Amino acid sequence: MKRRGFIKKAATATAGAFVVPYILPSGRLFAATGVQLAQHVVMVMFAGGVRQQESVEQTYLAQSQGIPIEGNIMYNMLDGTAPTQKIVYGTDGNLAGDTPIPQILGSTIQQQGTLFREVRSSHAGHYGGMNALLQGNTLFSQGLRQKPINPTIFEYTRRHLGAPASKVWFVGNGIGNSTPLMNYSDHPDYGAEYGANFLAPNVTFGSQGMEHLSDAKIYHPEEELDPIYQMKYFLDNNFENIGGTIETIYNTEEEKQSIKLFMREMYNLGGNIAKPPVSDNGDLSTVGYAVEVMKWFKPTLTVVNLGAVDACHSDYTSYLKALHRADHAVGHIWNQIQQIPEMAGNTIMMVTPECGRNLTPNPIKDENDWLAFDHSDANTQRVFTQMVGPNVPANLVRGGIGNQVGETADNCPTIAEILGFKADVMGSGLISSTAQSLFDRI
Amino acid sequence: MKNVKRHSHSRQSFAVRYLFLFILFPFLITTIGCEKDKLYEVNEETLLPPNANKTKLKSDQQYIAILYANLFQTALSSDNLFEASECVQSIGDKDLVHEVLISNYMNKPSVILPTNEDMRADVDAFITETYNRFLVRNPTEAERQFFKNYIITHPNVRPELVYFSFALSNEYQYY
Repeated sequence: MKRRGFIKKAATATAGAFVVPYILPSGRLFAATGVQLAQHVVMVMFAGGVRQQESVEQTYLAQSQGIPIEGNIMYNMLDGTAPTQKIVYGTDGNLAGDTPIPQILGSTIQQQGTLFREVRSSHAGHYGGMNALLQGNTLFSQGLRQKPINPTIFEYTRRHLGAPASKVWFVGNGIGNSTPLMNYSDHPDYGAEYGANFLAPNVTFGSQGMEHLSDAKIYHPEEELDPIYQMKYFLDNNFENIGGTIETIYNTEEEKQSIKLFMREMYNLGGNIAKPPVSDNGDLSTVGYAVEVMKWFKPTLTVVNLGAVDACHSDYTSYLKALHRADHAVGHIWNQIQQIPEMAGNTIMMVTPECGRNLTPNPIKDENDWLAFDHSDANTQRVFTQMVGPNVPANLVRGGIGNQVGETADNCPTIAEILGFKADVMGSGLISSTAQSLFDRI
Repeated sequence: MKNVKRHSHSRQSFAVRYLFLFILFPFLITTIGCEKDKLYEVNEETLLPPNANKTKLKSDQQYIAILYANLFQTALSSDNLFEASECVQSIGDKDLVHEVLISNYMNKPSVILPTNEDMRADVDAFITETYNRFLVRNPTEAERQFFKNYIITHPNVRPELVYFSFALSNEYQYY
């Protein structure tokens, strides 16, 4: 009887091992089963409110200032010839901005990938727009300086793909308003434990960071750090017993050590990083550090936020300069990705402005007597999206004026499809009912 | 006449007194006989550990200001406080950035730390002083015993490492 009982129990246990699903450390059941189109995704939240007129329509001054000069000032991303007169967007030569930045890509992103010419942006504001890109949702109850209400693509990636924290990065152009809050949501099923590592490099490695973070004492991992952590964990356990916890994105000790080494390396480089050939504004500096993040961590998902074109509220000339530089930045990112062995040929890049800008100007004039533009009218709902990389059709254009194909909330399920967990995101019930993968719209 | 009246009044008074005693006596007997034992009770109170009343998370600026004051025994200037809090906001992993910030402060020559000899000369006093300084309370006996054992059995542990662990603890981030 005993032997029979033992065999029965052993058989049950063995069967159970096969039947009971394996729970990954990330909390998901089973690993993602979808086919990956690429192992890495880089999404650029492009520039900070871009008019279609100066981007895909390439009308330069013709549809903004009533000056009949057209041309393409984004010639790394888009096909088209540059303006030949009234060049103000370049670097300073004889005159301010009269020297365009040379093209840095052999062929444009448009030629290498797919351009959705007319995409619907659900929001007229930056943070609503960014939330739509990250959450796949167009929640109008999302407040400013508030954590995302629904899960972000960072959390979906960590939870459904089992990606560790150091493989998911959000590189912001600063710490203003909602930017540092967007690395994870308040959603009870996701949240901090699935959050991305956020970095605002212009602060971390800027003058403030140099003053307060760059002179960190190096402690011996076993002799010094281990006792520190052991004593800390004792204190934390005592505090946790009465319900005291701190939200954390759960970098492991090894990951933390790697991030600290990365920071030390950046301080040692003193700004001599992988910046674009021209690097004279905050966006270009941000992109340089984003490339360094990619080189160091080879992230599964990197989101970079650019915002300098928002100068358009009061300075149209600065807007043109920032737009030209944002194009330069995107070209640089794509170039650099091809030089990282683990990411080259294995990365899909997406580029989408979080919102558009107005059709009609406000009354503010800049040094060239050109009018500025805010973002609040129907024209702000017009943006574009570009995708490039493996499994993305090359030289394909979808949509056009009067024929919007896609919306900003599509980026979230598109990234999920690229990384192989689209079913999890589409079935979550937490994204917009109209959002779908852009691959399904091709 | 007066005497007769007085005598009559005296007899009436005597009768009333006896009547009163006659009525009161059984009452007194009953009352004294039924006296219950007094029962003293205490109000119910929930006893919590000394760290239980810390329920509010410090802001970045509060954390930095208090940390600086604890380590340097002086206040951080408002400019430096603002800059340091910007640095903390610029990194998503708060544990990590706190660790880096404390490492920077520990590298400054003006940080005020007890010597290793002082700590080991009177471990009890050191533990109490550290709890008071960082967690604004006394240690429980269990906590005191843990740290006493830990310090005694780990000769490489010096005050700097103990201070570091307290500054990094979750309880220190609450008030």
